[in-house]
Amino acid sequence: MFRAMIRRTLLSVLILFLVAVFVFLATEVLPGDALDVYLSEDDVSVMTLEDIEEMRQELGLNVPAPERFFTWLSGAVVGDFGVTIVDKIPIGDIVFNPLLNSLQLGAIITLITLPVAFAIGATAGYYRGRRADAWVSTTTIIGYSIPDFVIGTVLIIIFAVWIPLFPAVITAYNDAHPLELIAVSLLPAITVIIGHVAHLSRLLRVGFIETMNSDFVERARLSGVPERNIVLRHVLPASVIPTLNAMALYMAGVLSGLIVVEKVFGYPGLGIELIEAVDTREVHVVQAIAFLGAVLVVVMNLLADFAIIALDPRVRSHVSER
Amino acid sequence: MGKFKNPDRRDVLIGAGSTMVAASLAGSLPMSSALAATPKKGGKLTYAILTRNSKHKSLKNAKHPYSGLHIRTKNVYNTLTWVDQGIDAQPEVATKWEAVEADQTVWEVDIREGIKFHDGRDLTVEDVISSYDFHRSKKGTSFAKKMLAKVEKAGPNKARFFMKSPNSEFAWWAAEYRQVIMPAADVATIGYDGVGSGPFKFAKIDPKRSVTYEANENYWGEGPYLDTLETVFQPSMGSAMNGYRSKQFDMVLSIDPAMVPQFEKMADTVVDVAKAGSQMMAILPKYEGSPFMDKRIRQALTLAIDRQKIIDIVYGGKAAWIPNDTHMADFNADFLARDVVRDVNKAKQLLAEAGHAGGITLPTLYYSSYYPEIDRVFQVMSESVKDAGITMPIELKQKSGYRKWRVEDKKKTRKHRFAMGPVGPRNPGANLFRMARPTYNESGYWHPNARGDEYIALYKKAMATGDTLKRREIYHEMQRILQDEVPSLFIIGRRTIDVFRSDVQGWKAHSQGWSGKFDKVWRS
Amino acid sequence: MLVNDKPLLSIVTHSPATTIGVTLVTLHLLNAIFAPLLIPYGSTQLAGMPLIAPGHPDFLLGTDVIGRDFLSRLMMGGRTSITVAMIGVMGAVIIGTFFAVSAAHFGGYYDDVVMRIVDTKLSIPGILFVALFVVGFGRSVTVLTIVVGLSYFPGAVRTIRAQALTQVPLAYVKAARLRGESALSVIIRELTPNVIEVVVVEFAIRTSSAILIVSALSFLGLGISPPTADWGLMVSEGVNQIYEAPWLILLPAVFISTLVVGLNFASDGIANALGLDAARGLGGH
Repeated sequence: MFRAMIRRTLLSVLILFLVAVFVFLATEVLPGDALDVYLSEDDVSVMTLEDIEEMRQELGLNVPAPERFFTWLSGAVVGDFGVTIVDKIPIGDIVFNPLLNSLQLGAIITLITLPVAFAIGATAGYYRGRRADAWVSTTTIIGYSIPDFVIGTVLIIIFAVWIPLFPAVITAYNDAHPLELIAVSLLPAITVIIGHVAHLSRLLRVGFIETMNSDFVERARLSGVPERNIVLRHVLPASVIPTLNAMALYMAGVLSGLIVVEKVFGYPGLGIELIEAVDTREVHVVQAIAFLGAVLVVVMNLLADFAIIALDPRVRSHVSER
Repeated sequence: MGKFKNPDRRDVLIGAGSTMVAASLAGSLPMSSALAATPKKGGKLTYAILTRNSKHKSLKNAKHPYSGLHIRTKNVYNTLTWVDQGIDAQPEVATKWEAVEADQTVWEVDIREGIKFHDGRDLTVEDVISSYDFHRSKKGTSFAKKMLAKVEKAGPNKARFFMKSPNSEFAWWAAEYRQVIMPAADVATIGYDGVGSGPFKFAKIDPKRSVTYEANENYWGEGPYLDTLETVFQPSMGSAMNGYRSKQFDMVLSIDPAMVPQFEKMADTVVDVAKAGSQMMAILPKYEGSPFMDKRIRQALTLAIDRQKIIDIVYGGKAAWIPNDTHMADFNADFLARDVVRDVNKAKQLLAEAGHAGGITLPTLYYSSYYPEIDRVFQVMSESVKDAGITMPIELKQKSGYRKWRVEDKKKTRKHRFAMGPVGPRNPGANLFRMARPTYNESGYWHPNARGDEYIALYKKAMATGDTLKRREIYHEMQRILQDEVPSLFIIGRRTIDVFRSDVQGWKAHSQGWSGKFDKVWRS
Repeated sequence: MLVNDKPLLSIVTHSPATTIGVTLVTLHLLNAIFAPLLIPYGSTQLAGMPLIAPGHPDFLLGTDVIGRDFLSRLMMGGRTSITVAMIGVMGAVIIGTFFAVSAAHFGGYYDDVVMRIVDTKLSIPGILFVALFVVGFGRSVTVLTIVVGLSYFPGAVRTIRAQALTQVPLAYVKAARLRGESALSVIIRELTPNVIEVVVVEFAIRTSSAILIVSALSFLGLGISPPTADWGLMVSEGVNQIYEAPWLILLPAVFISTLVVGLNFASDGIANALGLDAARGLGGH
């Protein structure tokens, strides 16, 4: 069991390295570099090609790509993500606040999504095949079939313009107090939650049904444990296990998923920062954010794996074979 | 068809709702007397901008005049001169300027006395010299870098500017948004502390998103009246409008023309249209194998575009002007309108002469999202040239890396692509320079062409000509060359449109987005 | 026609939702195929005044911001995203099936390599992946199709491999090996047919999700380029007119949603009818 865990951990490190290589190679093929994007039309009209070449040299952009990559990597392994290419600002300063903001929004979403999805998933699973189940599955399908940019826009019109309860555009400062951000992040959160609840409750429903049909539930029933206790104490916790991996991936996907609402509402998060870093060819920022995202996925997956290994005796035996 | 509409008067459109409210509050008081009221001190104004300075990256450089949130440096800093809404140069730090050499290479400038920087120091001629030494240094990216050879002290309040080449339009050059006056310091550190002499001081900065300014109580000129001014960058026009509707913003600058009818319907809202604004130009690449090597095809293309239709459909019939295939803006007094703007039959005839009697398919024209309405402009244009048998596919490219990508340079050929470029409105000299720049013989400009050499000779002559009327003749000649040769295509000129609440007084939409000033703005 | 020993008709009418789903998808597909013959105006043609409200005798659903017939654009607006989504996902699923089944069959290092590539892709934020491609190679339909294919490849491999792993230990595979069939033959002839239902369901579900993603990309300005009529793009073009002309957003939103709802109802119902479970991990997105 420990060998399996160590193997998983080592593989995760390998994956992080591969992600870094991919991101670097991909940013290399983009047209122009950080300097080209930095200079405006007006700048270029007063500069000669030699001026630009000289600046490029000063910024270290003419160093061969592999050398740049390994310089960066040797810093990154000890936690130093370097500085931005043009302004030499520590990456941490750039990423810190958007990361906190995104984590906060992600946390709000998760805290609301999980209990709601559990309740819906369990209800549908318990009444499997009956009207409640059909109703839930129909609504959830509709729930995740409507694009979130449509949901977001409609919410803004209703709750920011017609009934001015929330700001239509988030103008809170990047380093705003968490409470200030919570107050304005309700609409973006709801936009995302609708789709998430729909998806997760379907996953949980399946897990719930699987567990309800398992032997130990049958045994518990036969030994006269009240139905309510079976559901709440045994089935519900156990039904999470088969969905853990998928849920881990799902949580990690929150980062990508937030980009649309960040755009629609102007929420100062990591998604917008990422797209912008690609646009400005700030390779180190892209690397840092991609790395954070990858760490999130990998860690979530590891935790899910470990949880499965620890929680589910059936898996322990054959997990080492995988 | 096709006479240019050149409005002398700024169109001020006032929302129907606002007129109603104004009438009910002030009886039959005409709007003009409301405008003439005594300015009131106090209050806050939050305005949204849709575009941001590409250099603005972080807190570290956010106060520097080159890399503020917006290239409008005028909130915090002063320049020697200022270009007003009528595109005339006005005194600011400079009270007087004159060419002391007949060939317009040496200029003397009198520096205003009694200007104080935000840190309490007096602004002196040394500060002017130090600032310009920075602007023309290797670190500088302003027009000074290209044009200024030296600046020296010529008296207690007088500076002498030595230009690298004649510059008869020094006064406009000195108003450029980056050429601000900062407290003297060495080239490496100057400007980073954000100390200027302008009407507002930096108060709070959120990198990339917003800046809050507070009034400079010791401002040398009239104003400021507002206590607090806030700039918010909001790249989405829809979000900016939602923010305006929900009263988060008091003003949105340079809006999408399609939004005008909606703003006009809102209560207490003023829609203000500037005299002119930026143009959309298309580079016509000229190299072996490109259809644009043939002058007739270039001429046919410009004659085929239905610019009036673009104005009617995209700009509500009013918020745009018809360019003349030069970089000149129609508010320039030296602007020379084209005799014929559209002639489909002539276009067909030219194409037939060039061997394309059955029509021609041009390469894909690329463009990028420089303006909110740009998709519509290009779609209408692409449809309208079909009338002349021209098929012109279009494709939107990401703005990121777009400028670099426009020059296909894999083998250092400097081969340009058929692609759009934005053109900001400036004084005639700066406008017409753009076809006379050092790279003028590249495929995107003249390619080797005798008319190009002629054009450049004329440009040099104009720059050394002090007399405005004589210069105008040269400018007309230069425009006639461009209109015949069509080395690049000018699609449409937009008029900048600002919207704001009707209690905001003293703001006028400015054709040059970077020249607008908030010093005399107040709220009634 | 029988699928899994069940008549096709009983599968597509498995539940009312399934029937609705299959009907919606059929209508959408028929429209997408025949739209060029049916539309009253060209989809890029400047046919009338801008922003005519629906109900006009010449323009049934009104016109858009530059005066193009909105009905024509709506009818044409699914073709690009459906094509991009279907071809992209089909590529992902077909190539994914091969890698998944062979990985399950061979196991060992080969399996490890395939799965690490899959994990790597799944660890890269999806939106970053797309942004890198679009900025690098432009917004052409080809680029978008490849991006969709690559985005869905890892998820497809994961799901199908899981299904294939349940088959590998079974007797018929062993029997085939004993008969001396080559590995390739075992993979293609024996294993693949037995995971095909999962593959089909995978295709249906991922296609619906891909359509949503393509429209979200167009909305974000990373997708299809004007002047192509595309629902996601139409929403973003109309978003500024939401107070004046809400139909410019609502109609394309209805078209996207009915197609995606239809696909999900249909795939869910068909999967149920075949005894499969449609709700699984949603790798990557």
